[in-house]
Amino acid sequence: MTSHAATMEGGRSPERGLGVPTQKLGMWIFLASEIMFFTGLIGSYIILRFGASNSWAAPGETLNVTVTAVNTFFLICSSVTMVKAFAAIEDGNQKMLKVWLLATAIIGAAFVGIQAYEYTELIHHGFLPSSGLYGSTFYSMTGFHGFHVTVGVICMLWVTLKAFRGGYTQEDHHGVEVIGLYWHFVDLVWIILFTIVYLI
Amino acid sequence: MSEAGKQHPRYMLVFGGLAVLTAIEVTAAFMGFPRSVTILILLGLAVWKALLVALYFMHLKFEPRALAVLAAAPLLPAAIMIVVILMDYV
Amino acid sequence: MATITAEPTGIAMVEEEHPLPFIRKYIFATDHKIIGIQFLFTCLFFLLIGGLLAVMLRYQLGYPGQAMPGGDLLPETMAPGGIVLPEFYNSLVTMHGTFMVFFAIMPLLVGVYANYLIPLQIGTHDMAFPRLNMWSYWLFFVSGLVMLYSFAVEGGASASGWTQYAPLSAMPEASGVSTGQQLWIISIAIFGFSSLLGSVNYITTVINMRAPGMTWFRLPLATWSLFITAILGLLAIPVLTAALIMLLFDQTIGTTFFLPQTGGQPLLWQHLFWFFGHPEVYILILPAMGFVSDIIANGSRKPIFGYHSMVFAMVAIAFLGFIVWGHHMFQSGMNPALGMSFMVSTLIIAVPSAIKVFNWMGTMWRGNIQFTTPMLFAVGFVMLFAIGGLSGIFMASTPVDIFIHDTYFIVAHIHYVLFGGSLFAIFAAIYYWFPKMFGRMINETMGKIHFALTFIFFNLVFFPMHGLGMGGMMRRIYDPSQYEHMAGMQDTNTLVSIAAFALYGSGLLFLVMFFWSLFRGKKAPANPWNATTLEWQVPSPPLHGNWKEIPEVYHGPYEYSHPDMEKDWLSQNERPDVASPARHGSSTGH
Repeated sequence: MTSHAATMEGGRSPERGLGVPTQKLGMWIFLASEIMFFTGLIGSYIILRFGASNSWAAPGETLNVTVTAVNTFFLICSSVTMVKAFAAIEDGNQKMLKVWLLATAIIGAAFVGIQAYEYTELIHHGFLPSSGLYGSTFYSMTGFHGFHVTVGVICMLWVTLKAFRGGYTQEDHHGVEVIGLYWHFVDLVWIILFTIVYLI
Repeated sequence: MSEAGKQHPRYMLVFGGLAVLTAIEVTAAFMGFPRSVTILILLGLAVWKALLVALYFMHLKFEPRALAVLAAAPLLPAAIMIVVILMDYV
Repeated sequence: MATITAEPTGIAMVEEEHPLPFIRKYIFATDHKIIGIQFLFTCLFFLLIGGLLAVMLRYQLGYPGQAMPGGDLLPETMAPGGIVLPEFYNSLVTMHGTFMVFFAIMPLLVGVYANYLIPLQIGTHDMAFPRLNMWSYWLFFVSGLVMLYSFAVEGGASASGWTQYAPLSAMPEASGVSTGQQLWIISIAIFGFSSLLGSVNYITTVINMRAPGMTWFRLPLATWSLFITAILGLLAIPVLTAALIMLLFDQTIGTTFFLPQTGGQPLLWQHLFWFFGHPEVYILILPAMGFVSDIIANGSRKPIFGYHSMVFAMVAIAFLGFIVWGHHMFQSGMNPALGMSFMVSTLIIAVPSAIKVFNWMGTMWRGNIQFTTPMLFAVGFVMLFAIGGLSGIFMASTPVDIFIHDTYFIVAHIHYVLFGGSLFAIFAAIYYWFPKMFGRMINETMGKIHFALTFIFFNLVFFPMHGLGMGGMMRRIYDPSQYEHMAGMQDTNTLVSIAAFALYGSGLLFLVMFFWSLFRGKKAPANPWNATTLEWQVPSPPLHGNWKEIPEVYHGPYEYSHPDMEKDWLSQNERPDVASPARHGSSTGH
């Protein structure tokens, strides 16, 4: 069953909408909702921290900014490998599609791993979700971001598998574009999160 | 047939920009500027990086304008929410 | 008067092309029509539950401290000897609101009709993402089960009000409810995700899959309303999800977002909840308005009065709906300056709603009105929604709200807009689209009886609540008679309760009739209401895929009683006769 508006005998073309293919449009609409979700978490942090009469956050003291800065760089790298994968299949280059997709999944998994390591270090030093507002906000924001990255890695592996089975062509590679959008979004949220939580 | 790299945006250039901006950010955070100046610089840099990702990696610069509007639209209710609730506290 | 010969474009599907196995067709269905019907049956069940919870709490209010008939069936933890416990009363109030808002009204409007109508009304085969749609239904089903199960756990179901204000909702030691509260949160989180998948589907489908000629301003108002509602849900529900996660963490892993003991902010919960909650109530009314527009135009044999302003009014309501949430918090202790700005925006939002009421009246004015059951419920909607809206004006004013906040005046308002409004529109929609869904008519006489009973008992239950509220009767209290100033109101409360039982009885009657009509109703033609929109141009019920060949659209959605036409309606996909020069085309198309 086609999911596109059918073309007609009689020659009238389907209504144009936004001029964006359906799957890509669907992902962007989903990302719009994700913006609101992270606004709920990050916005609450901003309100609780900057609306408070006392200062309860000390990123430089509690958190490992260096390790996380490197991790941030890794995530940005994974965005680059993702976009290279997309460019590859746009050019019909099946081999590089697989290479870059695999690279993205691996770097993404590394990001989650490093974050998990960071968590264990923090917990070891007594910084828990129950450590007041700071613990509450830190773990919920970074935790849900990490959850989104994890889901992204799983989907990335699925897409990679499909690519290895020749599931994408130069003409039809919507799936690569769509996972790419999700991946870049997760990177974008991290860019904001890293700044607000670790630097400011 | 298109040539590889010819019709794509300059992804590696954007990557370079992102890396540099990140380095500047981390440095600026510990330069000891007055608090509000630090915050302004860091937020500005973060927004710049976010825009680079959105416009180039997520391709919004080359998509129909309506898609960029759709993507940016939630930022309005998001900003309203944060600003108004902050007004209840500050 | 020229007679225009018009030929319908498009070919409806009349033969089953690729029959599916039973499980793929009816259980794990991806056909938007089957999913809509799945939602319908599930939601009617939850409507029954929500009503039963109301009956129980009304029994306590009407006959305080007395044993409820059948109450001895309930466990000792809820109603020992059939007498409702105060703790259980709090659960009743909470779960009545919860089931009605999340599991009855919202999915009856959106889950049923967005799924059923959108592809049919825009002229396409199915939704943009049929498998995602299937997930949307099953996640909803699971969330409903989780919510039901919360009654059975130790400590019982949530008892902090459907609005779950912190810190009460975050502290089991205060509310007495632990697991039940966590299940509530988890259930609504799953529900939110289901809703989100739905929104993505509806928005993408309407943008990208409209038939040729179905321009934005030829869409029926039902589709417009569902489209705008989907956008509201898309943006508001994730904020609730974030807040719920924070609440769950406060309850379970020791975080302190909303707990003041360690710097948390209880008011933050209220802000976050109502930032979602206010768009939520527009989600609960906009589709109702859309359905009523389609039905009133059809029943008046006239185009909707002011089609464009109807669309812009809905857009305005949706937009403004994001900046009024503080009117639920006038008494919370929030910044008084915010109180003023929220008052202004709330008063402004009354304007587009009023425009719509006037437009419905303008549609009916001098119309050739057919008083069928859907039309009766639709007109009832206009009247009762208007009353609900008027009471809203009182509460919009911050100084007035000082006296009526958390009283039965608010309860009256809520139920005039949600029952007199949304539920009446749902009944109208059920009667109107039942023939399309099931190929049978609901018996007209029984429908009119259902309408009469519902209308009368509804007003007997909820109109007196305006007076009770003004007299100082508070919401959510177990035994009003303990307060001296309310002693005189007991008789009214008892009468209200009796009317409530009768109202529930009318609902049961409707359910019996609904199921009877499924099997023994008169067979329905494709277009029993002589309606113009595309869903009526395919068989009743439509086959999988709806159209063998997508139609082309030439007209707006409400071409009734056009002066150049002999018959008093023109379907959207009728091609004007090429030979005839007379323009009888759409009054609104681009």
